[in-house]
Order: sequence, then C-alpha cells, then structure tokens
Amino acid sequence: MIVNMKDIKDEGFDIKRSAEEIRNLSFKDHICIGCGICEKTCPVEAITVADIGPIVRDEVDISKINIDEDECVLCGMCSGICPVNALDFTIDNEPISEIAAYPKYISSAEIDDDTCIYCQRCEIACPRDAVTIARFLPERPNLVTGEIEVDVDVCNHCGICDEMCPADAIDVNRTPGEEDIVIDKDKCVYCLICKKSCPVTAIKAACRTCSYGDYDIDPEDAVTTGSSFIDDELCVKCGWCEEICPVDAAKVKKQFEGTLDVDQDKCTVCGTCIDVCPCNALTFPKSAGPATIVDNTEKQEEYCIHCGACERACPVDAISVQITDVDYTPTKSKSWIEKFEALKN
Amino acid sequence: MPSHIASGLKYLAAIELKKHGFTQQMIANELEIDRSTVSHYLNGRNLSWHSIDVAKTITNLCPKDFLIMTHYLFKDEQKTRKIVSICKKKKYCGEIADSCIGCGLCVDLCLMKAVNLDSLKAHINSIYCCGCLLCEEGCPTNSIKILEVNNDREYERH
Repeated sequence: MIVNMKDIKDEGFDIKRSAEEIRNLSFKDHICIGCGICEKTCPVEAITVADIGPIVRDEVDISKINIDEDECVLCGMCSGICPVNALDFTIDNEPISEIAAYPKYISSAEIDDDTCIYCQRCEIACPRDAVTIARFLPERPNLVTGEIEVDVDVCNHCGICDEMCPADAIDVNRTPGEEDIVIDKDKCVYCLICKKSCPVTAIKAACRTCSYGDYDIDPEDAVTTGSSFIDDELCVKCGWCEEICPVDAAKVKKQFEGTLDVDQDKCTVCGTCIDVCPCNALTFPKSAGPATIVDNTEKQEEYCIHCGACERACPVDAISVQITDVDYTPTKSKSWIEKFEALKN
Repeated sequence: MPSHIASGLKYLAAIELKKHGFTQQMIANELEIDRSTVSHYLNGRNLSWHSIDVAKTITNLCPKDFLIMTHYLFKDEQKTRKIVSICKKKKYCGEIADSCIGCGLCVDLCLMKAVNLDSLKAHINSIYCCGCLLCEEGCPTNSIKILEVNNDREYERH
C-alpha cells in the first residue's frame, strides 16, 4: 500500500507546446499507481514505466513513469486513459475532461448526505485517504440514572453513541473486522442520548430514577449532523466506502469491470502485489502470522479496480488481471475508441 | 536581391489574378500593394525581367520548396499564404486515416493554415492546401495522405 500520498513530493514532468493552441501535459507523481496503462496506450511510445524497485514494507514508492519529451506529440491519450487521473492534459488551460470531443471514463464515488449518519467508517476504510467526514454533535442535557443494554446483533458499530456520550461510557471499535461495543455501566449517566441517536435502534435504555426533572432531550436534536467530502484527485473508485457503509449512503461506480486471478501455485507470498495495490484489494490470508510462511495471497475482488498494477509488479507472473468492460463517454475518434477497447485485452 | 525576387512573385500573382478577371483595384487589395504598382506590373514596367525569371523558377519548384522559399523571401506568413495560394500550380486534397489521434501537430506545422482539428481528427481544407507535405512528413501516426486533384485550378477569392 502506498502510504502518505499527500506527503510524497511531486516530481512530475511538465511538457508544453504552444502554437495554434497551448497544449500542456503534466504528471502528478503522488497520484500515479504505476499500472502501466499509459505505457501500453501511447501511440508514439514516448512513455516508459520503470520496473518496480525493492519493496520496503509499507513504504513502497511504486515505479513512476518517464516520458521522452522529444517523442511526445501531446495528443493527450495518456491523460484520457489514465484510470486515476495522474496525468493532466490541458488545451488552452482547459482540461480535456471538460472538452466534449475527448472521451473520458464514466466513474464516480458519492456520499448521499441525506442518508449518511457520519459514522466515519468510510473515512477509516478508504485506502487512499480520499474521504473526509466531519460531524457535529448536539448539545448535551443534564444527567440522570437508569439502565442500558445493547443488542449486539443489530449494532453496526457506527460509533455515533461513542462520540455523543457525555460521560465517555461507551467505547466502540470501528476497525473493519474487529468491530466491538462496550458500555461502562459505572460511568453511564442514563441520559438516553445514545438510544436516541442510534441509527439502527440497537440500544435499549431507560431512565429509572430522574431526580433532575427535565432530563430528556428532543429526539430531533439528538441526530448527528455533518458533512462528507471525497477528494476526487485521490479517489480511485475502489468501492471500500460503499462496502463498509452501514446505511448505503456511499455509492461507487467503477470504470472497469473485470476479473482478478492469483495463481496460488506460482505465488511466493512476497507481498509485492499487496504493497502496490492502490485499493487494498489483496491481503495475506487471515491465518498468516508475521514469522510464518503463509499459504497464499488472497484477493478481495469487490475492491479491485482492475488497474493491473499488481500484475505488472508480480515478480513471478502469478497474477492475471482481465478487464472485461470499459465504461467511457462516446467519441467520434476511431483511434481513441480503439485504445479504450484495447484495455480489454 | 531577395526583395526583387519577392516583387517578381507579386508580379506573377498580379498577372495570375488578372487572368481570372480581377480589376486593378481588386488585385491591389488582394496583394496589399498600391494600385499604381499593380498598373506598372500589368503594363510590364518597373521590374527587372531577370527577377521575374527567378520568381517563375521558384513557383515551378516542388510545392514544399516553393513554399519555404517564398516564406523566406517575404518573412511573413500571411503574405506567403497569399502568394502561394495564387501561384500554386495544382489543387490538393488531404485524406486522413482513422489512425489519426488528434495530436494537432499537423495544425501547427501547416504554414498555409489548411489543417484544423474536429472531433479529435485532422481535416485538410483543399482550398488552402499547397501540397507541401509538411503535415504528412510530421504526422506521428502516418495518417495523412495528400493527393493531387486532377483538374485545372482557379484562384478563388475568400
């Protein structure tokens, strides 16, 4: 996995040609995932992607692309075909994604703010740190006493109760795979905020003794509000947010459909694929310990964007990524259509 | 000397326009010269016939040499375009193959401004094309073919 993407210094290139119009191609090093699609697409073979260097676990800097400025004719194909928009191509300062004649991928990642409960699970799960969820908590009323219970089968571990509890009595672990909720009854002050704010009504709580009179708050006020933001520059439309969202507020449309196969006989469990995968779609089997030789590499196909970065990086050619469908906006140019269709091979 | 040859080319252009029924005033406007100069040209005065011979030789060179020579003599793209489009001997049309990627290199290379891009594909305007083949030579995907049109050309006013 590529870490701290925003911290990697941008060492991209910048090519310009100004005559009838100003054409400019620039490269965002920190966005590039090293999949090599541009190398295969470039009609003048001006692009080369270097072979992957030695892997330092969790700190891999994937091989970046080189461009021969003398060969490049500034046609913009690499920019149009890059699945993660690491190449910016502008004509007279207008990005080609905004020029209708140029085809572009049909893909999106959106969070519906009306449905979102601002639990921040997607923010934690996003492999590219592209999601930011802000939440605002309601005012807390005076405190009372009573009893409280959580239906663990219903609880989705969104963490809203944890966040809102004025007495810090609830502890929710939201790490995917290790979800847990613990309520410290000694600390609980039975304010019922957790019960009222729970989006799935998993908490049953009652205020047994109420010596403070007006303890309850209006359920309307107990709703968490907030805002969501997806950084389109970093988002690769992998689908983690959609998969992890407890209320189906996140929707992801991928640009490629396809298959990902790992030849378990060839795999040497070196972990290279896991490190280059931009969307955490590959993992070691859960049984693996750090000191044991694990069996094989597992794949999580629902998160795969079929970019082919792992196939390129695998030192023993154990991985095969096949794109079966590409979704892009129509264009009249046959050569551009040909390049988009060629991705399927 | 180069300016004399440039005048020779203007003379040839004036004669060519006269053949197509342009009046002296129209010729003067077209070539951006004085009407009196046009009058001198058309009456065979004021020019060395030697320069005109050299100019004639230039117009008979292959289209690329004719264009580059003229551009060098006038050092002005617009005037070059005018002289070449009047004095060129043949009409040309361009065929663009589907392999065109829309890089626009041909648009930048064309001195005659005969090429434009439409829907990521180059188009060549035969009215302006002088057959120099600069675009064909520069095309990274070899998608351009310039063909001679087999008929007598007439200079058209735009």
